[in-house]
Amino acid sequence: MSNEELDSQLSAMFDDELPATECELLARRLARDEQLRGRWGRYAAIGACIRGEHGVRLSAPLASKVSAALTQEAAARAAPATDRRKPGITWVTSLAGLATAAAVAAIAILWIRAQGPVLVAQSQSGPVPNLAAQTKMAPSTPVTATPPGAEQSAGQVAAALTRPRPSREPDSYVVPLAVPQGPALVPPTELANYIVAHSVYSGPLMRRNALSALVGEDAAAPQVITLQPIDATVVTGK
Amino acid sequence: MSAVRAAREPLLWLAMTLTAATAVAADTPQSWLDRMNAALTTRNYDGVFSHWQSGRVETLRIVHRVVDGAVTERLESLDGSGRQLVSNGSEMTCYLPDQRTVLVEKAPRSLMPAELPKFSDATADFYQLDSLGTMRQMGQKAQVISVTPRDGYRYGYRLWIQRSTGMPLKTELLDTAGNVIEQVVFSSLSMRHHIADDELKPLLVTTGFNWLRDDGAPAVTVEGMGAWTNTPLPPGFHLVAQTAQMMPGVTEPVTHLVFSDGIATVSVFIQTQTIRSSPNQVRPGMAQVGSSSAFTSVQSGHKFVALGEVPPATVRFIIDALLHQSAGQALGR
Amino acid sequence: MTADASDLSLVQRVQHGDRGAFDVLVLKYQHKVVKLVMRYVRNPAEAEDIAQDAFIKAYRALPQFRGDSAFYTWLYRIAINTAKNAVVARDRNPVDFDLDMTNNEESYEMQGRLKDSETPEALVLTDEIRTTVNAAIANLPDDLRTAIVLRELEGLSYEEIAATMDCPVGTVRSRIFRAREAIDSRLREVFEGGLGRAEEIG
Repeated sequence: MSNEELDSQLSAMFDDELPATECELLARRLARDEQLRGRWGRYAAIGACIRGEHGVRLSAPLASKVSAALTQEAAARAAPATDRRKPGITWVTSLAGLATAAAVAAIAILWIRAQGPVLVAQSQSGPVPNLAAQTKMAPSTPVTATPPGAEQSAGQVAAALTRPRPSREPDSYVVPLAVPQGPALVPPTELANYIVAHSVYSGPLMRRNALSALVGEDAAAPQVITLQPIDATVVTGK
Repeated sequence: MSAVRAAREPLLWLAMTLTAATAVAADTPQSWLDRMNAALTTRNYDGVFSHWQSGRVETLRIVHRVVDGAVTERLESLDGSGRQLVSNGSEMTCYLPDQRTVLVEKAPRSLMPAELPKFSDATADFYQLDSLGTMRQMGQKAQVISVTPRDGYRYGYRLWIQRSTGMPLKTELLDTAGNVIEQVVFSSLSMRHHIADDELKPLLVTTGFNWLRDDGAPAVTVEGMGAWTNTPLPPGFHLVAQTAQMMPGVTEPVTHLVFSDGIATVSVFIQTQTIRSSPNQVRPGMAQVGSSSAFTSVQSGHKFVALGEVPPATVRFIIDALLHQSAGQALGR
Repeated sequence: MTADASDLSLVQRVQHGDRGAFDVLVLKYQHKVVKLVMRYVRNPAEAEDIAQDAFIKAYRALPQFRGDSAFYTWLYRIAINTAKNAVVARDRNPVDFDLDMTNNEESYEMQGRLKDSETPEALVLTDEIRTTVNAAIANLPDDLRTAIVLRELEGLSYEEIAATMDCPVGTVRSRIFRAREAIDSRLREVFEGGLGRAEEIG
């Protein structure tokens, strides 16, 4: 491929106008080729100039700062060889793990029967299926239709669904993704269920607030605070 | 301030200090609260708001429709996760695009707001309602109402209520020291005549998602619920509802008691304590969930969890009272 | 042509352990993210710090990204969240946010109001770049200039540009590419020294 052809591809890929297969090849090259990357960075600068955006620089300090920060993190962790994650998920920082744990909590905000969830269907097309019309499928035969790159997690999900589980356990671990091997900060699912049940009675204002907190991105783990003796006389009468 | 207004103000103050007055003039703080609750539950609206709590901010969109008294609502996170919650009278569906999962819960009973906390004359003994005048919020004229607790068992509120619609454009929850611990501000809000079905559908493609469905257990009645009506409670609180429902991880129905002082509500869940513990379960002690307090205790094979938008002292008080009461009587199954 | 294929292919590479691919994404979106963050903080240095945090956060969350939304939409949300939380943490109080929740990023124009917080050197560099780029664009043949302006300023797709300019899509691609080449070679001429740094990334 001539240099010009390559650069033309670069330009098209920058505009998101390159076919997927060519993108994949070029992405590989881009990640390795400094000259190509430099050009790509200048394309971004040109666009920013045309739009009159602030802080257009050619030296891309932000990119190098981000890169440096990530390198530093990786060096600090210095994972031993035995800590290698599965292919496809080669790095899971502790913070990513936290985010996952919070996401697991959010998953469990709806109560699921003790017998375990029933996998109704993998929806094949856009519109939400009419659940009433669905027949129940045995958990052992999940149908998967996943986009490239998600095989790992889809496999994990399928495996998690078919794993036999104790009958009394609330089913909150059905869809863990990239759960880190270290101590997982899983917040009490039970509490999340109670929050939903309580929200029905707390009036429209507080109900909205409670549900907002559960839907939010960082549906955070409830913080457990140390039990302190409460002086009843202090709290009465202001 | 117009002359008419100035003349009316002293009368308003008079009306408020005479807490026995039940006739509610159109402009009293209480009437504004009523108007707000009515707007929230009976009008169609859609808007975007920011929710601040525990030092974090989240932006959400809400679409709310009422048709023949039946409410359907969609709540969507506009940051990062893209999660959405769609609820109506019989079903709550939670879309989790970041986990490629959809959870559906069919409820044996309505998941929509039940009895609203009702502000009564007695409530005025525990909260002071004031009107702080009108201010501009989001370019709209808003009536600012403050709800100040008279003791340390409840939280306070400040509400910016849009004069034309009764909708709360901005709300703040205040702790016993007067600090804002939660704030919701609408950045855009439309009252709608009509909301199409499509607007209550999640805005995402669920191809390849996992669907998990729970059919919900039938409603259960549990004997002996009346035993809780005599529990001593923090001043102003009384029992307003009691139900029982199945919850995961427990094979017997969980009793759900609801206490309220007219503005704040506290739920108490009583269940048979399972023998095996898991990280899923709430452990005894105090916990803070956003702006809510939760207190858990175990006694005689039962676990009691109190949860509500109240200070920790309140949930603690209620649990202690229930434990004391249950120790004094046999808990039948 | 799959929408978002470009970003997705890079994301995939990152998910397979190729961190260089993430640098490529940062290069592409750093200006946009900084501009977005500037809606919440006026100080450009602070905005860059927040943007850096946003990218780092995105990198850590990338294992969970599955392509359900466009990559930039996902990044956009993370950036906004990071910016808002940074402001809130700084101020320690809840603040009223004048939120613009539409996707209209172009609504907020910060240009020309930030002189006091910029170092003179950075200013000069920015002005020089802009001058060079603008001059280069002015010197372009009409068809090349139109093509790249429609793409970068109006955000039109190649198809839309082809319809506007009444020419085949392949011609649009070629025109935009040649426009970029012309501007880029002018940039390299002017910034011969500076560009050496530009290529050392990661």
